[in-house]
Amino acid sequence: MAIAKAERLMNLALCLLGTRRPLSKRELRGSIEAYMEAGNDESFNRMFERDKDDLRELGLVIETVENLEGETGYLARRDSNRLPPVSLDAEEAAALGLAAKVWQQARLAGAASGALQKLRAGGMPEADNPYEGQSSAIEPRIPVHEAAFEPLMLACRDRRPVVFDYRKSTAARPETRQVEPWALECWRGHWYLAGFDRDRGAERVFRLSRITGKVRSRAAKYTAEVPDVVTVRETVASWAGESADRSALIRLRAGAGYPLRAKATAVREGADGWDELEIPYGHGLDAWLVEFGPDVVVVGPADLRADVVDRLRAVAGA
Amino acid sequence: MAANAIDQTRRMLSLVTYLRERPGAHVADVARAFGITEDELISDLDVLPMCGTSFRGGDLLDIDTDGERIWWRNPDASGESTAEPLRLAADEATALLVAARAVATLPGLRESDRDALLRATAKLEAAAGEAAGASSRLSVTFESEGGVFADVDRAIAERRRLWLRYYSPARDELTEREVDPIRLFAVGHTYMEGWCHLSEARRTFRLDRVAEIRLLDERAEPPAIEPRDLSEGLVQPSAEDPEVVVEVGPGGRWVAEYYPHDSAEELADGGLRITLRTPDPGSLRRLALRLGREGRIVAPAELADSARSAAREALAGYGEQV
Repeated sequence: MAIAKAERLMNLALCLLGTRRPLSKRELRGSIEAYMEAGNDESFNRMFERDKDDLRELGLVIETVENLEGETGYLARRDSNRLPPVSLDAEEAAALGLAAKVWQQARLAGAASGALQKLRAGGMPEADNPYEGQSSAIEPRIPVHEAAFEPLMLACRDRRPVVFDYRKSTAARPETRQVEPWALECWRGHWYLAGFDRDRGAERVFRLSRITGKVRSRAAKYTAEVPDVVTVRETVASWAGESADRSALIRLRAGAGYPLRAKATAVREGADGWDELEIPYGHGLDAWLVEFGPDVVVVGPADLRADVVDRLRAVAGA
Repeated sequence: MAANAIDQTRRMLSLVTYLRERPGAHVADVARAFGITEDELISDLDVLPMCGTSFRGGDLLDIDTDGERIWWRNPDASGESTAEPLRLAADEATALLVAARAVATLPGLRESDRDALLRATAKLEAAAGEAAGASSRLSVTFESEGGVFADVDRAIAERRRLWLRYYSPARDELTEREVDPIRLFAVGHTYMEGWCHLSEARRTFRLDRVAEIRLLDERAEPPAIEPRDLSEGLVQPSAEDPEVVVEVGPGGRWVAEYYPHDSAEELADGGLRITLRTPDPGSLRRLALRLGREGRIVAPAELADSARSAAREALAGYGEQV
C-alpha cells in the first residue's frame, strides 16, 4: 500500500526542522521511506517539489542553500519557524475559538483550526464551551458558495493577475476580463472582488457569483499601484441604490408596505385610507415600488412615476 | 478519513509539541483541545509512529496509546525541533484575523466579548508578524440590527419568551407573534431561530424584519429540536412543494442568484428558464411584478394571472385603462 501523504509530509517536515546543516535531496531520499519507494528520479523530483510547496503552504520557511560541492541543500531553521510566545487569557482564547468557527469554506476553516492548534500547542488556555456561560449567544457564519472564491483569495494573497469570464447583471453573454486583484469583501452574504481592470484601465468591483467558468492566474507583475485602502462596500451600496440623492413622494395604502415606512423620511396619514410618504430616491426604487402592486401610487418625481407605470404596463399587458 | 493531508500534517506538527509537555494525556482531553473527534486523533496517532528524523539512524517517534491515554516514550528523538509550535502561515493568520475582525464588528456583541476579541486580535497580529499582512486583502461585514439584537440576546440568556411584530414580505403584512428564542446567527444578515407559537413550528426570523420587539415575563420553553444545519443554506424547499417556472431575459438573470432553484436552463437570447419550488407560489407575486419586461411567470397560471391583475389594478391608480 502506498504510504499516506500526511506521513510523507510529516517526515519531511521533521527532517528539515531537526537538522542543523542543509540536507541534500539525495540524503532526504535516503532517509524517508516514501521517497525510497518513489520509483524513478523524475517521479521523486516531482513529489519532492510538491511536498516542499505544501509545507510552505502551511507556514514552514524552508531555506535552500548551496554547499561547496555545488549541491543544493534544504533546511528549516528553528528561529525562522517558531511561533513567538503569545499569552492569551481564557477569555481571549474563548473569543478566538468562536471566531475560528465562522468559516463555511474548507480551506479557511482548516487554516483557522490549524492556527488555533498552533496556539494551543503554545499553551493557549483551554476555554469552556463558548456557547455556555457569559458569552454572547450569536453564531456568526461567513458563507462562501462561490467557486471563484478560493482561486481569487490565493491571487489576492500572492498578488497575481487573473483572467475570468464575467457576466454583468444585465448582459446576455459573459466577457473575458483581465484583472489585477486587490481585495475580496463579503457584504450581505455575497462576495465581491475589487481590482484593477486592465482593459478598462480603471478600478472595478466584481460580484463573484457572476464569474462564469474558471479563474486562471497569470505569473506577471501588477501594472497599477495597489491603493492602501480598498473600499468595496461603497461601490456595492451605490449599485444597491443606497446612495440616494433625491426624494420621492408616494401614496401608500394604510397598513401596507412596512419596509417603505421604515425607510421613509416623512409620513403623513391621510383620511382616505392612504398615507403620503417621502422616501429616498436612488437607483432601483422603481423596481422596488412595483413589488407593492396596487398598494403604491407614485406622486412624483415624474421620471419615477413614468418608470413605474412602464413596468406595470409590461406586466399588465403580457 | 485522511480528508486533507495538509490539514492533518499541520495538526500532527502541533500535536507532537502539545504531547511533549503532557505525558499520559487523555485522548478525550487532547481531542477536545484540538477541536477534533477522538477517531481523528487516533488516526493521527496511527501515523505518528511512522514519522521521525530517520536520517539520524532510525529515530522514529515512539508515541503509543491504549485508546484512553497517550504516551510519548522518546520525546528527545526529534531533538528540539518539536519543542515549540510553528509560526502561523499566511492563510492561518488570514483565516483567524479576518474572522476575529468581522465578529468584533457585530453591533450586538457583548462589550466584554468584543474587548477580549480585540485584545486577542492585537496579540495575534503581533505574533503572526509578516504573515498577518495578507489578511487585509479579505474582509467581511455582518449586517446587524443593534437594538433588536440586544433584546434577543438578553431573552436567550434569561430564557424568556419574546413578543414580535414581524414583517412578512411574501404577504406584505405585519403579524404579531410570541416566540421562544433558541439562537441567534449571522449569515450575511442576522437571524433568530425560535419556536413560534403562532405557527406552532420552528421558524427563522430575519432581525431587520422585526418591526417591534418586547421581552415577556413567561419562561421560554422551546421543544428540544436539533438546531438547523447552517451549512445547507437558509431556504430548503421540499420536493413536495409546488413548482414555479420563470423565464427571464438577460436583465433578469439575478433571479437565479437570489432564489434557490432546481434548474436554470440557458435560453437563446441570453436569458434563463428557472424552475424552483416554494410552499406558497402566491408569495412570488412580488417577483412577477418586479420583473417587468425582464421576465414572466410561465407556470402556474394562477400566479401569472394574479400578477397581471395586480398590475392592472395598480395602473388604474394612475388613471390608466388596460
